[in-house]
Amino acid sequence: MRPRPITGWAVASALGPTLPDFLRGLREGTPLRSRPRPPSQALPKERWPETLAFEIPGFDPSETLGDKGLRSLDRLTKLLVVAARAALADAGIKRDGEFVAHSPESAGLVASNAYGSLEAIDELHRVATLEDARYINPSRFPNTVSNTASGYVSIWEGLRALNVTVSSGNPGGLDAVLVADTHLSARRAACVVTGGAEAMSEALYVGWRKVGMPTTVPLAEGAALFVLEDADMATARGARVRAHVLGHGAAFGQPEGHALFGTSTSALARAIAQALEDAATDARDVDLVLAGMGGFSAYDEIELSGITRVLGPDVAVAAPKRLLGETFGAAAALSMAAALAWIGEEMPVPLVRGRLAGRPRRVLVTELGFYGNASAVLLGAP
Amino acid sequence: MSRVFITGVGVVSSIGLGRSAFFASLEAGRSGITPVTSFDAEPLGRTFAGEVRGFVPTDHLTRKEARLMGRCSQMAVAGARMATRDAGLDDASLAGPRTAVVLGTTMADADMLELMDHAFIVDGERAVRPPWVPRFAPSLLPIHVARAFGAEGMTLTLPAACAAGNYAMGFAADLIRGGRADVVITGASELLQKLQYAGFVRLQAMAPERCQPFDLNRQGIILGEGAGILVLESEARAVRRGARPLAEMGGVGMTCDGHHITRPHPEAEGSVDAMRQAIARSGIGPERIDFVNAHGTGTRANDVAETKVMQRVFGERRVPISSMKSMLGHCMGAASALEAIGCVFTLETGIYPPTIAYETPDPECDVALVANVAQRGPHDVVLNNSLAFGGYNSVVCLARPGVLPG
Repeated sequence: MRPRPITGWAVASALGPTLPDFLRGLREGTPLRSRPRPPSQALPKERWPETLAFEIPGFDPSETLGDKGLRSLDRLTKLLVVAARAALADAGIKRDGEFVAHSPESAGLVASNAYGSLEAIDELHRVATLEDARYINPSRFPNTVSNTASGYVSIWEGLRALNVTVSSGNPGGLDAVLVADTHLSARRAACVVTGGAEAMSEALYVGWRKVGMPTTVPLAEGAALFVLEDADMATARGARVRAHVLGHGAAFGQPEGHALFGTSTSALARAIAQALEDAATDARDVDLVLAGMGGFSAYDEIELSGITRVLGPDVAVAAPKRLLGETFGAAAALSMAAALAWIGEEMPVPLVRGRLAGRPRRVLVTELGFYGNASAVLLGAP
Repeated sequence: MSRVFITGVGVVSSIGLGRSAFFASLEAGRSGITPVTSFDAEPLGRTFAGEVRGFVPTDHLTRKEARLMGRCSQMAVAGARMATRDAGLDDASLAGPRTAVVLGTTMADADMLELMDHAFIVDGERAVRPPWVPRFAPSLLPIHVARAFGAEGMTLTLPAACAAGNYAMGFAADLIRGGRADVVITGASELLQKLQYAGFVRLQAMAPERCQPFDLNRQGIILGEGAGILVLESEARAVRRGARPLAEMGGVGMTCDGHHITRPHPEAEGSVDAMRQAIARSGIGPERIDFVNAHGTGTRANDVAETKVMQRVFGERRVPISSMKSMLGHCMGAASALEAIGCVFTLETGIYPPTIAYETPDPECDVALVANVAQRGPHDVVLNNSLAFGGYNSVVCLARPGVLPG
């Protein structure tokens, strides 16, 4: 892969709705489980009187998007549109709603989510079950389709090049980067907003409780989007480069005992090796690994063992989910955002293994899916 | 652009299981639209769909495999087994890291989600059984296929609604051209489900009994289901093993209208661009296109927009066009994959599948429609046109092997 510049980014996370909130939260380094839980906007209070998951505190899409046209949008869409608007502004591509670099026809979107809008599906199932399917709200029906949130971003932001939704579970944010880079390399777009988003919903919360949610990593929501650009065009317009995507790898391996729910050391090791090969670099060049490590001990051990197999036992490893929560389709994108933060600014990195001398210049982000897939992306300082 | 070949296809559809049955039905113009049996549609005021009949999962999957999956994945794995057999590939040759799986869908095994939601809504959290939970995730669709063959490359779901098959095939070809895989099992799968059915009825998009694309009196879509799976291989691998290429992947065009979440742009700007991209990326001009397999949903807005695309891309030249949805119904996420296999049928046989149930010409849909009866014609290069919710436009160019410039 030719180094792909990242020229803008935006984050909405359990640390707050904006990038400055995110950076402040990382500097504080407080584990998410030790933070106060914000009041819930997504879980119905009549069924969940206690606040049990970490939503984005103070998330108010009308501050960015105004009040008009929000009623038919679900939470996932609002998250994605708000983050995309902020990322395009950060990249200097749009100002006051207008393109000042590139054009609508050359700007695209590739975004990951793991489960689509469970909020919308659940809402319609509820009407169909308790009342009658004839009464479901037709304006909400399109939200049940996984790519609708991405489609709304193109409508709100006028992105008329390709629009792709990626679903590969937790590694989706990393795979979205590959898809975006592929389309940029094929010149189907000159800039692509990419990353991932996942919104809190009752169905997500119940599902997570049923599989025994871990205690070290609470359930959360968020969105992290990055602007990837054609390198020559970014240089020509004097864009500020935050980091480069250097390599990507993805692999699948049958979980041990052929179980459906499980993961594979060899898949992760192959994904990491592929990302290094893609970047034409080797293990010695990796300063820091940001591992998915979602708090399930079996998965975390396998992830560490896959990292060790390729990068050795001494590489520094951090687990951003302890600060940001488990956010599924947004998780890997949020880890990438943490990587950008730690590449860009001197601040403490909460390591779970190894030592880090100074600011990392090359950061490998890894993520495991729940079913044996794994992905890795290598990021480099500009 | 290095060549990527389609070397095998597998079909689960309302007009036939497997390539031979499917191709025979396409030629005969057989309708798979029948009264819905998988749920009670009567109260919704619409009762027809392109439902897959006679599909017995355990004819294609082990009992253990079938138990772990919803219907969408079952159809995808069955289609994949048919496609790899059609390609002359045994499972051992697909095992390992150079085989990837990229599939499209709308919501994959939505039946598993419906099961959980229903239990939760009726009886509360305690009624949701923990083993159900991991069985719903759109990412599982390609993983089930990868597990079936021991594939160890990338697994990816592209939920691009009704254009998902084209999206998956396009990215699969990109993976091969980028050197990230030698063979990709791709295509798309979708099941017929009550919620989607009700949703389209509520959108007033559903026709009562027939899907009549481009007809003056068309009344909308008829939903369908199925899986269309294709094996894509690099030229080097196909040549090495002496494979019989069925078709070649040409260029892919993709745009987004950014106009409306369910309706196409009235002037079809994005759709025109996508088609022009697909042609140009194939290294040819529009004069080389022999046939267009239409999106052709049978809605007023779609068919008029698609007519504008044909007129603007091809000008005075009346390129034959036809919609398989008249036979299959609209198989949503699986639609464009099944239609791509219809393109393979055309490239192999020179037969354009008909748009059945066509009765009255619509002056707003002045296209060279293959009406009611299959036609024969030139068949070197064809286009698979597809649109979707979200304003998605995608066009895949397919050609007889070796016809496109290298």
